Amino acid sequence: MNYQNSNISSNNFEQCIKCTICTVYCPVTAVNPEYPGPKQAGPDGERYRLKKPLFYDEALKYCLNCKRCEVACPSNVKIGDIIQLARLKYSKKRPGLREQILANTDFMGSLATTFAPIVNTTVKLKPVKKIMDWTLKIDSHRTFPQYASQRFTTWFKRHAAKHQAELPNQVTYFHGCYANYNYPQLGKDLVKVLNAVGYGVNLMEKERCCGVAKISNGLVKQASRDAKRNLEEVRRSVAQNREVIATSTTCTFTLRDEYHHILGLDNSDVREQINLATRFLYRLVDEGKIKLAFRDDFKLRVAYHTPCHMEKLGWSIYSTSLMRMIPGLELIMLDSICCGIAGTYGFKRENYKYSQAIGAPLFKQIADLGVSVVACDCETCKWQIEMSTGVKVENPISLLAQALDVERTKALNNIK
Amino acid sequence: MLQTIKNHYDVIVIGGGATGAGTARDCAMRGLKTLLVERKDFTAGATGRNHGLLHSGARYAVTDQESASECISENMILRRISRHCVEETGGLFITLPEDDLSYQAKFVESCQKAGISAEILDPKEAIRMEPSVNPDIIGAVRVPDGAVDPFRLTTANIVDARLHGADIITYNEVVGFVRNQNRIEGVNLRHIKNGTESTYYADVVINACGIWGAHVAELAGVRINMFPAKGALLIFGHRVNSVVINRCRKPADADILVPGDTISLIGTTSSRIPYEDIDKNEVTPEEVDVLLREGSRLAPVLANTRILRAYSGVRPLVAADNDPSGRSISRGIVCLDHAERDGLEGFITITGGKLMTYRLMAEWATDMACRKLGSKAQCLTAKTPLPGSESTAENPKRKHIIELSTEQKAAEGRHGTMSRYIPSHNANDDALVCECEQVSVGEINYAIDNLHVHNLINLRRRTRMGMGTCQGELCACRAAGLLGKAYGCADRTLNDLASFLGERWKGMYPIAWGETLVENQFTSWLYNGVCGINQMVGKKDVTPNKD
Amino acid sequence: MKYETIIIGGGLSGLLSGISLAERGHKVAIISAGQSALHFSSGSFELFDSAENPLQGIASLSEEHPYRKIGLEAVEHYADAVKDIFARAGVKCSGDKNRNHYRITPIGMIKSAWLTLDDYATFDSAEELPWRRVALVNFEGYIDFYPKFLESCFAKRGVDCETFTLTLKEFEHLRESATEMRATNIARVMTGDILSKIAQELKGRIGDAEALFMPAVFGMFDDEAVTTLRSMVRVPLYFIPTMPASVPGVRTQIQLKNYFQKLGGVYLLGDNVTEGVMEGGRLKSILTANHGDMEFEADNFVLATGSFFSHGIIASQEHIYEPIFGLDVAADAHRSEWYNQDLYAHQPYMGYGVTTDEQLRCKIGGESVANLYAVGSVLASQNAIVEGTGGGVAITTALYVADKIINA
Repeated sequence: MNYQNSNISSNNFEQCIKCTICTVYCPVTAVNPEYPGPKQAGPDGERYRLKKPLFYDEALKYCLNCKRCEVACPSNVKIGDIIQLARLKYSKKRPGLREQILANTDFMGSLATTFAPIVNTTVKLKPVKKIMDWTLKIDSHRTFPQYASQRFTTWFKRHAAKHQAELPNQVTYFHGCYANYNYPQLGKDLVKVLNAVGYGVNLMEKERCCGVAKISNGLVKQASRDAKRNLEEVRRSVAQNREVIATSTTCTFTLRDEYHHILGLDNSDVREQINLATRFLYRLVDEGKIKLAFRDDFKLRVAYHTPCHMEKLGWSIYSTSLMRMIPGLELIMLDSICCGIAGTYGFKRENYKYSQAIGAPLFKQIADLGVSVVACDCETCKWQIEMSTGVKVENPISLLAQALDVERTKALNNIK
Repeated sequence: MLQTIKNHYDVIVIGGGATGAGTARDCAMRGLKTLLVERKDFTAGATGRNHGLLHSGARYAVTDQESASECISENMILRRISRHCVEETGGLFITLPEDDLSYQAKFVESCQKAGISAEILDPKEAIRMEPSVNPDIIGAVRVPDGAVDPFRLTTANIVDARLHGADIITYNEVVGFVRNQNRIEGVNLRHIKNGTESTYYADVVINACGIWGAHVAELAGVRINMFPAKGALLIFGHRVNSVVINRCRKPADADILVPGDTISLIGTTSSRIPYEDIDKNEVTPEEVDVLLREGSRLAPVLANTRILRAYSGVRPLVAADNDPSGRSISRGIVCLDHAERDGLEGFITITGGKLMTYRLMAEWATDMACRKLGSKAQCLTAKTPLPGSESTAENPKRKHIIELSTEQKAAEGRHGTMSRYIPSHNANDDALVCECEQVSVGEINYAIDNLHVHNLINLRRRTRMGMGTCQGELCACRAAGLLGKAYGCADRTLNDLASFLGERWKGMYPIAWGETLVENQFTSWLYNGVCGINQMVGKKDVTPNKD
Repeated sequence: MKYETIIIGGGLSGLLSGISLAERGHKVAIISAGQSALHFSSGSFELFDSAENPLQGIASLSEEHPYRKIGLEAVEHYADAVKDIFARAGVKCSGDKNRNHYRITPIGMIKSAWLTLDDYATFDSAEELPWRRVALVNFEGYIDFYPKFLESCFAKRGVDCETFTLTLKEFEHLRESATEMRATNIARVMTGDILSKIAQELKGRIGDAEALFMPAVFGMFDDEAVTTLRSMVRVPLYFIPTMPASVPGVRTQIQLKNYFQKLGGVYLLGDNVTEGVMEGGRLKSILTANHGDMEFEADNFVLATGSFFSHGIIASQEHIYEPIFGLDVAADAHRSEWYNQDLYAHQPYMGYGVTTDEQLRCKIGGESVANLYAVGSVLASQNAIVEGTGGGVAITTALYVADKIINA
């Protein structure tokens, strides 16, 4: 990287007045002393990196990119962005095979779903886990997410696609890698809910991974390539008057904010048309455009976990308000703290123990509450919480789908 | 009197700026028994109040060939002897659309005549080299400018003077001279805080007080015509540029932007002030506006970059002896033998010049002192590296810089090879005191023990503690805790803490808007609201430290 | 989104307004741009610092002062009322509005205060302390605690003071980092077994000390660690506030926020209100950075955005302004008038803020906005530092406005 080019920084970091509030809320600082903390890694470090790039500290890799520092900062400093950009600009550590494997969630997913039964069994085997631990430094304690035997996109094409055009309104669903390869049920649930309120679902012609894992694993070129493709798809969709909605907070956040802040892509023309499914639905209800009816026999005690990127988006209110509309659902808010997984972060051997230490207070709270389900809009939080507590985690959209009285809802919205 | 003998030196140097420190070092290296006396702290005057520009001399090439040649030759010497104080950034002289491009040719020719390499660059090439530069430039010349840290440079000279046996006294003002008929035989000192008086004797007294030299000379009964010229500067919060940017035109306001350590500096304005005002160091809102306006022409990003401080220094411009009106003023070195000039034996004044030529000034003054003392010792300062800048080849055990922790890297930048003496054995030493400038407990303790530190301001100048973004908000209290531990007296330290914060504010109020005001409100809440430090202010038994 | 009241700013005054409203069944949302200045709180709140009887001192303030606007009676009333709210929120503190008490500052000064968290020692005189012999305890490697200054404070008042430093194995991990030994990081470790260990260590070393002082590094999320440790030590144990972030300050913020949410209040953190939609002299709705074109509507709005620190008021090179609505502010015109060259003198800028009518309603172009109130340090004509009124103004104006909204 050209030194001079890296010597230009936006001046946002100078808004830091050294109040140290970010360090209070950093989940990593609390457990890992090797990490210099958001203040030092972010605005303090930035001054030194501008002086000489050799001041870059490889320990910045411990940053989860949870952005809780940004949420806490009273001076609007983009601490998380500063750290991510510094990692991409200055890190001398090139992504290895492990990073390629973890980051290419779409490629690995398409391979794995093809051989799902084999992959699922294999990655569960102790010797295989040990080998992955030795060779790839992927922690052997980690339970790998299960791959589905049928991709969401395959199901959609076979079973849902042809009816969609019959509905009066249309949206585009950005399913993301997780709904596609690991948990197609989430996508099916969304189709169910949206169809019931008169919205037809469309998929992108060629959806790419949102790129969050590539960004955090330093594969910025690949991430940018995917991002550009995705933005083209988003624009095509918006041109057809179709809002793009996602069920994953991280996909939503990445498309809306990281594309611009980290990859430097201008998405301002379509940013407002990229939405989280719960927010999309809530607004329709709030504006009186749709009505929801729920089953009388649905009873569930649910604790809601706010994923970090949801905290950063500030949108948990939409998911929780929607769930609160379900009469039989008792909702308990968990403290908004990080679960520790942070996407692929927690899979790496060097991070595993910190990852679990970060999540420990959350796991304890969940265990103490004795709820049967945790609701959460993020797939990696889901893996982490399920693995660490044994409690099932559902996306609010899935709970909505389970509770929805489809026929009554259709009737209320005049859908055949 | 027994004390008389103990207090006798070959040379007394008055003034703890770069020139005084350099002179004390030179004298001590030539085997003279030397004492340096300073009214406040080292670098408290013009030495610590300039650009920190390692001039190539290009700036003077058109108007003053002699100064230009001196600069380039000292420039090359400083790169050798004070590696750890110098950054070889290179410099640009840019021509903007409103400037006369024909000046460039004259400029380049004059540089070459003075022996300064000056290479005309394509503007595009200049922008690639320094992306912060105004993209509208129509011309650019590359010269061997650099940055020099005056605090480090002076400290290194002091350390070396002491290694060669010199004694150092700070916070003692010269209030009179011991005069025996037409010969100066010593100086009378008064401690500026507790008023204690003392007398020191010497065969030669060297007046190296910069602009204050006129006053000191007057105490000795001789008159030097000096014209104080105030220059104001702004410090920006981080490095905006990595190459020095100058305006290629006749020297004017705010036409030099210098990167220095973690920050960038724009300056200066220039205005004549009355001699009575030389201690005021005020910066007016108008000066700030001029600096920002003109500075943004050099690098447009300055217009929205956080400013940390505003400060000003006073250049000692000396009128030629035959022109008391001050019209023919020299920026060159003035070395006066008062025996020859005024019939006063044992007294030398070294003044004029600039930070760049401090070593040469020291050499001239020391040469003169040696002649008076009958010493034939040769000057070695052009060849002998300063402590911190010695070759590192003989220490193969030293870790590669990339393996060091952030604060160790920062400390190495500040102290060069001397950083090996900074304790770094355990968690206690490595804990950070100043987070903005990466100053560890070990470095603070090293400075307290070795670098002539009496108070927090001294500590700041020796380490950069409190010079960063928060201007001491987080670290001042911690550093005070360590000083309190070292000196034992709580009240003295708390009073020092109160004046340290007051001194920080002095550089902040001229730019008290935006983050500066926020930072000050935060600092006030903490130190007055939470801590109650304001109770230390206005106490009769405590003298405020105005340094 | 529709609420009865929306409060902009989630610090002390915003939370107290919100709590007071939510306790009475109001539907309230708080939108906060980040964490608040409570994080640096000394743990004491001042009503009026520069007189022994704060209420008498208030009478001497200018008519523009927020206290004078709400009236002495209201100040008295809410000064009592807040103690009950704090109690319900689990914030343990004590104090008397008719008589200031004293506390010890981090650097060993004695300062007066009205309400002080139970973590700290309070006493009736600045000259005489209620102990003859005390012990100071620090932790090896913690450099934000200053035994030398505190020893001097005790010595000046004839109190014998012995200092000792505990070396804890549990800190070794923390201390690997150059910046980890800060109050809030230590507080995270100070739970469970380590408390018993500290108590055990102290046992043999207290001697005949009548009280024990430690840095305030206990109990960040609740006061369990404080209560536990105290129960295990046989002499009164007090804490000394530290440099930021303040552990008891963070705890107070969390307790108030949790209580507000328990009451059904909505707390949106990390969002910036970008503009307001005005309609016929009223604020109809606001827009925020996170929520885009989603309007937040409410019957009433409360501006609790704080002073310069939290950007409730902003100074540019040219002028002072309120950034969300462009409200009328009281400030000097030229920047050379904003400051005093002496750091410790009255700083004019500290008194800048939004101007209001007698009911604390904000103004635009001299006209009151019918449903937009201002509370706390965003209000003009106060100087928290010089007067020692910061906490008191935040508290009393917040509760005053909540009542105005309820009774409107």
